[in-house]
Amino acid sequence: MVAGEALTATGGMAWLWFVPALPLAAATVNLFLGRRLGKAAGVLASAAMLASFIVAAIGVRELLSLAPEERLVVLHLFDWISVGAFRVGVDLRLDAVSATMILVVTGVGSLIHVYAMGYMQGDPRYGRFFAYLNLFVFFMLMLVLGQNFLLLYLGWEGVGLCSYLLIGFWFDVPGNAEAAKKAFITTRIGDTAMLVGIALIAVHFGTLDFDAVFGAAGGQITQATATAISLLLFAGAIGKSAQIPLHVWLPDAMAGPTPVSALIHAATMVTAGVYLVVRTHVLFELSEVALTVVLVVGLVTMVFAGLCALAQWDIKRVLAYSTVSQLGFMFMAVGMRAYAVAMFFLVAHAFYKALMFLGAGSVIHGMHEEQDLRQMGGLRRVMPITFVVFMIGGLSQAGVPPLAGYFAKDAILEVANHTGRLGIYVLGTIGALISATYIGRMLFLTFFGQARSELAAHAHESPAVMVIPLGVLAAGAALIGFANTSPEGRVGGFLEPVTGAAPGGAGLSVFALGVIATTVSVAALAMTWLVHGSGRVDWMALRERMEPLATALQNGLYLDRAYDRLLIQPGKAFARISAFVVDAKIIDGAANALGGGVRRLADRGRLVQTGFVRSYALVVFLGAVGVLAFVGSRL
Amino acid sequence: MRTPIAYFVMLSGILFALGTVGVLTRRSALLIFMSVELQLNAVNLSLVAFSRMHNDLDGQVLAFFSLVVAAAEVVVGLAIIVAMFRRRSSVDVDDARELRW
Repeated sequence: MVAGEALTATGGMAWLWFVPALPLAAATVNLFLGRRLGKAAGVLASAAMLASFIVAAIGVRELLSLAPEERLVVLHLFDWISVGAFRVGVDLRLDAVSATMILVVTGVGSLIHVYAMGYMQGDPRYGRFFAYLNLFVFFMLMLVLGQNFLLLYLGWEGVGLCSYLLIGFWFDVPGNAEAAKKAFITTRIGDTAMLVGIALIAVHFGTLDFDAVFGAAGGQITQATATAISLLLFAGAIGKSAQIPLHVWLPDAMAGPTPVSALIHAATMVTAGVYLVVRTHVLFELSEVALTVVLVVGLVTMVFAGLCALAQWDIKRVLAYSTVSQLGFMFMAVGMRAYAVAMFFLVAHAFYKALMFLGAGSVIHGMHEEQDLRQMGGLRRVMPITFVVFMIGGLSQAGVPPLAGYFAKDAILEVANHTGRLGIYVLGTIGALISATYIGRMLFLTFFGQARSELAAHAHESPAVMVIPLGVLAAGAALIGFANTSPEGRVGGFLEPVTGAAPGGAGLSVFALGVIATTVSVAALAMTWLVHGSGRVDWMALRERMEPLATALQNGLYLDRAYDRLLIQPGKAFARISAFVVDAKIIDGAANALGGGVRRLADRGRLVQTGFVRSYALVVFLGAVGVLAFVGSRL
Repeated sequence: MRTPIAYFVMLSGILFALGTVGVLTRRSALLIFMSVELQLNAVNLSLVAFSRMHNDLDGQVLAFFSLVVAAAEVVVGLAIIVAMFRRRSSVDVDDARELRW
């Protein structure tokens, strides 16, 4: 961990709060005035993002000017909660990890905002879209900049809300509102566990401040408590980062506009889970069990989602499953304590996956909202720029050197190999093989061969406002890997004071690993080219021969249906019983019976009131006699 | 020679019983009203009698209170009866039985 003396940012860094405040301000303006602003709404949102990026970049530069061990700035804005000794402040924390995150969020975010100005053109709720998008960025920045668990949780729920709003942005299209609900509720399962974890932290440590908790973690809690807290926090990460068994929402989340998929469901929000584990790795390291769970969940998700991606026809669903799979890769790295490597992979993935999503958006745009790979083909001739940048993104993920994805993936496999986890290394390599295969399949089906529909034959290239961000992202996806080429790479050297060094050891040399990885990905690409790109293989017939496996994978091994049968339908049945039997019959019935009984009793009783004054007088008289008799008898 | 107290009490009891029977059997509000007065005066009589027996003026003072209250009651009661007669040209209490279940 960083040495204790934190800068309390009175001077140089006091303006750090501008980073989240700018998107929030733009979101507020767009929320109230978006309709009147018209096209200016997009410009305003993008400008706010760009300004935020510049402020963040200046902040990171100042951070770099400090000595590596002192790179921590905590900016106290104001007290949030103060109950007795328990205090939670709105404190922003800038260290190597959050610096990396804010650069990705604001940098990639800015590009996606610019792209969205073109993509969303003509949408009747243009201003509202940018308001949500900016609000998302604000919450994401609070998530990564927060100095305590509560602030992190605020951002965590905030991004979930914005994800819901944006997935369901076109809620008038059937199914989109359901997809949004599904995303919100599924992640909520994890969030609830995470909140319990945070409550446990508050109980055991009496504070939620990161430095205080991590500083005291070693001595203050038992191993069992550490395991419980870590696993509960990881449950939140599973939900947010779409890992098995809560991954089902992400493929459906593709109902949102493509810039949303790129920003939220590829580059930033879904990586929040990885960030969470990296940030709280001190707690995870106290429990071998928790780290093993992280590793296994990541591994299983990576292979499973990769296989599902192989069988998708919808170009965005390929990318969605691919994202799930790649997030599994990150958790795999985290589970092996290679936090800096995971963060590096996160950055590289943010670039090439955002690039591919935006490229897919460009394709969809050019194809007039057609997303089916079977309808595409031959697009490289009509959409040359999109083709080039998409290829860069795809080859980057497939792991072709010297693109970013190659270095990022290799760094993880290297850790697996050098720490003697041979099984994980082999599985990771298989994961890389699958990843290169589905990427190749998507690339070749989209851009090569002959046009398979009228739409594909007459597709058009997207406007400059969409293509320019693609170019910048492509440059990032191609070049960012060089930041970490040396064994003590720059990203590693920057992050390791916070995350600790990646575990090392003896194994195959870096060169040998690189050769193996390159061979694997090139072989996979060549094979997919032969099948899908060369035109020599009837790939539809090939697929039909693989039924019913292909359809099962296309449907995510029917996990959705299983959840529906096992959880949702029983839940709904239980709700129906509660509503129509327990509530309507038993609870309401008891109340109604009580009221009805009293009423019937009163119907009898009120007959006493005859209206005859003299009978009342008689009763009074008899009463008086009775009282006298009683009193007299006791004298 | 003093009249024995028992006579007064018996007279008072007879008067009270007459009044009670009148209240219970009469249908005219006016007669019921008069019967109530009879009951009140029966009580007054016994009050005065016991007062004399104990050589204590408290009972007689109470009787005066009772008289004053009875006078006030007459004012209100008669007013109600007059109002009742004006509304329905009858003072029969058995007719005035709208206030029932």
